[in-house]
Amino acid sequence: MGLIENLKSYSEKVQTSEKKKELLTSFLVKGFPTTKDEEWKYTSLKKVVAKEYTIENTGELIDSSTIEKYSLGFENKIVFSDGKLISSPNIEGISISGFSDFEDSTTGSVLQLNKALANNGFTISVDKNTVLENPIEILFFSTAANNFSQYRNQISVGDNAEVKFVERIQNTNDSTSMVNHFTQINCAKNTKVEYNKIQNNTADSRLIDTVSVYQEQDSTCDINTLVFGGSFIRNNLNFEQNGSNCESNMNGVSILDDNQLADNHTFVDHKSAHCRSNEMYKGVYLGKSKGVFNGKIMVRPDAQKIDAFQSNNNLLLSDDSSIDSKPQLEIYADDVKCSHGCTIGQLDDDELFYMRSRGIGIEEAKAVLTYAFASEAIENISVEPVKLLAQNLLAQKLNVDLDFSL
Amino acid sequence: MSEQKRQSEDELLEKVTSTEYKYGFTTDIESDTIPKGLSEDVVRIISAKKNEPQWMLDYRLKAYKAWLEMEEPDWANVSYEKPNYQDVIYYSAPKQKPVLDSLDDLDPEMKKTFDKLGISLDEQKKLANVAVDIVMDSVSVATSFKETLAEKGIIFCSISDAIQDHPELVKKYLGTVVPARDNFFSALNSAVFSDGSFCYIPKGVKCPMELSTYFRINEAGTGQFERTLLIADEGSQVSYLEGCTAPMRDENQLHAAVVELIAMDDADIKYSTVQNWYPGNAEGVGGVFNFVTKRGICYKNAKISWTQVETGSAVTWKYPSCILKGDNAIGEFFSVAVTNNRQQADTGTKMIHLGKNTKSTIIAKGISAGKSDGNYRGLVKISKGATNSRNFSQCDSLLMGDKCGSHTFPYIEVKNNSSKVEHEATTSKIGEDQIFYCNQRGIGTEAAIALIVNGYCKDVLNQLPMEFAVEAQKLLEISLEGSVG
Repeated sequence: MGLIENLKSYSEKVQTSEKKKELLTSFLVKGFPTTKDEEWKYTSLKKVVAKEYTIENTGELIDSSTIEKYSLGFENKIVFSDGKLISSPNIEGISISGFSDFEDSTTGSVLQLNKALANNGFTISVDKNTVLENPIEILFFSTAANNFSQYRNQISVGDNAEVKFVERIQNTNDSTSMVNHFTQINCAKNTKVEYNKIQNNTADSRLIDTVSVYQEQDSTCDINTLVFGGSFIRNNLNFEQNGSNCESNMNGVSILDDNQLADNHTFVDHKSAHCRSNEMYKGVYLGKSKGVFNGKIMVRPDAQKIDAFQSNNNLLLSDDSSIDSKPQLEIYADDVKCSHGCTIGQLDDDELFYMRSRGIGIEEAKAVLTYAFASEAIENISVEPVKLLAQNLLAQKLNVDLDFSL
Repeated sequence: MSEQKRQSEDELLEKVTSTEYKYGFTTDIESDTIPKGLSEDVVRIISAKKNEPQWMLDYRLKAYKAWLEMEEPDWANVSYEKPNYQDVIYYSAPKQKPVLDSLDDLDPEMKKTFDKLGISLDEQKKLANVAVDIVMDSVSVATSFKETLAEKGIIFCSISDAIQDHPELVKKYLGTVVPARDNFFSALNSAVFSDGSFCYIPKGVKCPMELSTYFRINEAGTGQFERTLLIADEGSQVSYLEGCTAPMRDENQLHAAVVELIAMDDADIKYSTVQNWYPGNAEGVGGVFNFVTKRGICYKNAKISWTQVETGSAVTWKYPSCILKGDNAIGEFFSVAVTNNRQQADTGTKMIHLGKNTKSTIIAKGISAGKSDGNYRGLVKISKGATNSRNFSQCDSLLMGDKCGSHTFPYIEVKNNSSKVEHEATTSKIGEDQIFYCNQRGIGTEAAIALIVNGYCKDVLNQLPMEFAVEAQKLLEISLEGSVG
């Protein structure tokens, strides 16, 4: 028995629309992607789906102290407990409601499964010209054991609006759980959107997260991904630029140890001229962890004057850690500046020596250098509490008390 | 940029893209061919015609059987009509086998062909001190400097001769680096290869001259399946040159070569290629399919350096690779790939680090013009045991014209934490400010582009041996005519 069998028996029982049933049936024929699939070449789902799960299980309702524990303390909170929307703020100019299905153009069998199964998620619509200073915090709690849950979320941001989000997916027990999460963000003209994802779930949690961003003219969208906890994390981040003068920024920090696996896939589709994209992913690997990075920049024909920058830097700090990186450029226009850089290495011995000769212990010296390495990506986050959290989690992972904040 | 200037640049690019292949001509020599198609019998006929021993026939048949079970790969970022493998003639040999005593005995027709290519044997013999083993439609027709090489114990001959004269060496090494089952095209090659070069450098010998071979596809519709096997024994050193030009054809011609390099402990192999197969006309009709498997293995302290200048072929599918098996082995890959009109190139390298302290360097420069597509696809793999390994990769692409494409697909796999890997890639066009700077100083736009392209490729061209560098520059000139020179 495994997830596929669980899904099969679920599909026999479940009451749902014809269309969703069809999607589920066709998914069951195809199954989960394997390492023969180019997009999943380095990340095997085999073990992840071999486990048995309960589909869309519900447990106890979350209490306020638990919410307090995992919240970063923002005033505006959207809280889900096992798929159920239990609290949402009233903000002028922003309407927030529960799940409402929508069409999407993102492909892949995992997403097809999401579409077939999802009954939960949020729908946020930001009115034109709304500017919200404080971020909206979105918390997804799972209390049921061995849960396999789907979320399907949509954010539509109206012209000239500015809004920030902080998202966290959290288990309240140590069981093996899996989340198939999809968020679509539509950025209208001249909008500014920042979406921060904090992935610091329990040790045996599995996550496949897909974010698809559609940008109109003059919009800026930042997606920051912080990967710290969870045994299996796959992030798919897709940008589609459909108007001129768009800017897409991606920052990612992964700090992994033990047997963790984190796979960051990004794809920027430059469809219009005069756009920019900046991408910075940093990975630190300890223990037996494994990192995967796949960054693709596509410049369509006639999308001239594109500036696309991508960098992926990795530190392998233990004997058994490994990294597979695949930075790709696909360029069909000539007047563009595109570059990617990828490095894999260790901390510099000279730098360590320098610090040690000044009385800083080896562990602390390593931590400081690792911090400096990762901070470049963390610095780009504009939400202060998220930055601080990232720093603390980093120190925690490296087992030191840095006792400073930058 | 002013409208006028833009126009002149457009004209220039127009000129670039409209230049037709200059080496399109066929030599009229009677050929001894077998019927089209591939079957077990054809494999047997090829083997019999070449009077091969049983083990060789067995090898071919095994490869043929493996090939039957394989599927033609389609993962490369190229699109083409898949060749009909039953519509290819798998063997053709010039009927008159010229006597090799002196160059005067060479078929005058063939001599003319080489003259047209600007490769004067006499000149090369006298001036450049290059031994040339010419392969024309699969069978060696001229070998020179054999005696000089023989004195040093160097074996340099066609692979068919090697199978007859040095079966123990061929048997020992053939298919050890590129096994027949390695991929679809290597299996095909192993089954039907008609000829190619064989080279063995004995222990501690430094080859006194650059070894070179020129390949040409001649007989209409003949696929050429070259097989090259180069063995550098302990402490030896060799530089090998390979150049290709092919006559104009309307049907697509298939070229599926296999090159195997073996660098024993402390050996040093430098393998340089200038490839200029017929790329098809401006609409992409005709042209050679170049599906090549090139791989070398480096034992302790050995070094293999691949240098290639790729200007031809309708579709190129080529990844010269290094397996760095021994400790302290070094692999290098320097490449300039030019695509024009409708050409498609998917090329790059694989550096597989197995030994400790192994080093690899990759410099790949792509130039895309017209409606062509250039791809870099490479793998750097650092295995768990490859302590202190080092890789540096740089892939740059230059785009000329707004209808072309340039892509990079690097794969980086690192399993060792004491190794360092760096990869960088850029894509850009020639800067308007760069051209403006040159214009300001009285250098015309055309000359400026030439200057910039030359500077851009310098890192790779510098790696070529003198004789080849000249030819490579000539090819770049022809491929990008109007902008270079």
